[in-house]
Amino acid sequence: MAELSLEHVGKKYPNGYEGVKDFNLEIADKEFIIFVGPSGCGKSTTLRMIAGLEDITSGTLKIDGRVVNDVEPKDRDIAMVFQNYALYPHMTVYDNMAFPMKLRKADPQEIDKTVRETARILDLDKLLDRKPSALSGGQRQRVAMGRAICRNPKVYLMDEPLSNLDAKLRVQMRAEISKLHQRLGATIIYVTHDQTEAMTLGTRIVVMKDGVMQQVDSPSKLYSEPCNLFVAGFIGSPQMNFIDASVGETAGKVTLSFGSNTITLPEAKGKVLKDKGYVGKAVTMGIRPEDVVDSNEHPADRNLSEQIDATVTVYELLGSEAMIYADVDGGSISSHVSSTNPARVGSRIEVAFDLDKVHVFDKQSELAIVH
Amino acid sequence: MASTATKVGSGRNKTFMAILIPVLVIFCAFNTFPLITGFLYSFTDSKGYGAFNIVGLQNYMDMFTDTRILNSYLFTFKVAVVATLLTNVISLMLAIGLSSKIRFKSALRGVYFVPRILGGLVVGYVFSYFFTYIVPAITGTESILASSDWAWVAIVVVLVWQACAQTTIIYITGLSSVPEDVYEAGALDGATGWDKFRYITFPLIMPSVTTNMVLVMKDMLMVFDQIVAMTSGGPAQSTESISYLIYNNGLSGGQFGYQCANAVIFFILIAVVSILQTKFLNSKEEQL
Repeated sequence: MAELSLEHVGKKYPNGYEGVKDFNLEIADKEFIIFVGPSGCGKSTTLRMIAGLEDITSGTLKIDGRVVNDVEPKDRDIAMVFQNYALYPHMTVYDNMAFPMKLRKADPQEIDKTVRETARILDLDKLLDRKPSALSGGQRQRVAMGRAICRNPKVYLMDEPLSNLDAKLRVQMRAEISKLHQRLGATIIYVTHDQTEAMTLGTRIVVMKDGVMQQVDSPSKLYSEPCNLFVAGFIGSPQMNFIDASVGETAGKVTLSFGSNTITLPEAKGKVLKDKGYVGKAVTMGIRPEDVVDSNEHPADRNLSEQIDATVTVYELLGSEAMIYADVDGGSISSHVSSTNPARVGSRIEVAFDLDKVHVFDKQSELAIVH
Repeated sequence: MASTATKVGSGRNKTFMAILIPVLVIFCAFNTFPLITGFLYSFTDSKGYGAFNIVGLQNYMDMFTDTRILNSYLFTFKVAVVATLLTNVISLMLAIGLSSKIRFKSALRGVYFVPRILGGLVVGYVFSYFFTYIVPAITGTESILASSDWAWVAIVVVLVWQACAQTTIIYITGLSSVPEDVYEAGALDGATGWDKFRYITFPLIMPSVTTNMVLVMKDMLMVFDQIVAMTSGGPAQSTESISYLIYNNGLSGGQFGYQCANAVIFFILIAVVSILQTKFLNSKEEQL
């Protein structure tokens, strides 16, 4: 397996559009790196530059210390799983998987052994004689994975490999890919726009927007300490609540006011805001739905804010829990509550924020001030 | 409700019939009827005018001992096979070139299609001038159109030049139907250059190969205009194609009944060749 290094990598098209800007990343051996972001953020372009399918217009790409900017895709020792699988439609499953080895003039017995062993791992052994057109989406996806595995490459690249599958199969295949990563001990770079896939699969996640890398971190850190408003809003489903607030100070304690409500921040968070000179200024407060609790059902171990009056506008039962969307002074706040919560549309409830989970962002730069 | 649907259906049927019946009548009048008439004349000794006698299968039996007819079949098939292969190879190369990322691609495609717009006679006369005056002036040799051994090569050159236009367009269409990500997967797997063509491109454009092989072979077997314009079947009947012989001897040579028999055999042969070609090439097509 391999280490990758991307130093100031950029992609500029002939029309002047910059698809990727100053991308810097060190990928360690056996890492499962996820590139995530909305459509057009440059994640697939970056992956294709690593594959050699797109020219790198600036910067340096190294695989195991060797600069590969001008190396042909076939000589980079990488395999890629495409969004549409890109199977060879005229070849059987066996031939699709054997093709890369055949081109490398591998020993026919070794090819046969590798293909059959890989097919067994991926539960494809009964489908080896079929053409891709006779396979389901999930089976095609496994063949595409199998073709990559047979190559035994240094790096696996996966470009939204699950996006064409139905929801149930996607969850199943997600688990398969995770198991495969553990079994192969491979370096995997995986592109997705689905933040759930990113959170469940990656050892590290790269969040991108408009060709610019926003944050690189572990899934848990990305969730708990987003570096800016975009990352905070993109990671997490349902998305974080954002509330325009103003910072104040009452009796030495720093407060956040919005509408007719005021909450008092914990001392540590308040100190950061005060030290950075935000008292008297407008900020954006962020709070995740699970950290907005109904005062009647809050657990004792949470450091809750003052109560806030809200009117339920939408109630969604999700099974063991429910989502409530409530109106607070004309703004909407979402909250995860227990499925036994009696609140329904039109109910007046009192909610409170878990103060330890309140995020504050600068209104102009949108960067996080305190978590 | 049901009666309204029936009325609508019946109105639509009348429209379809109004379109179809005139076309069918014209087709039968100018195609089917002459075909059947020609078939019937093939059993006569008609000169194309005046009285005639029924001769049964005599015309068909005579054909097999007529060296002029046999030579025309040999010439036609030789030209057709060579021209079909050359046309397909050259067109495929042109199509690959015109499908790559080059400048002025659309303009070049237009230029390469020009021969298709020109009539066979026009092209024939232009090339006749080229082979009669320009080539000998450059090479200092006599025109190959005057050589009974080499005149067929000039015919092949003209046929290929003209046929490449349409064949190239069909190959370009075939090439554009190959998904780009399949090529990208191939590039990563190591399929570049000849391997890319052999293992990916060619198998995936086999339907276009079948279409082109059958269409071009049929067109080449029916070669006529270029012969009229360039050699009139000469020198020494060495470039006399079957179509030309049927036309020449049938309509102005007093062999109407006899050449009708030739036309029937020729029709059957073209049909058999086309069916065999289609069956063989279809078996090579990958079922995607």
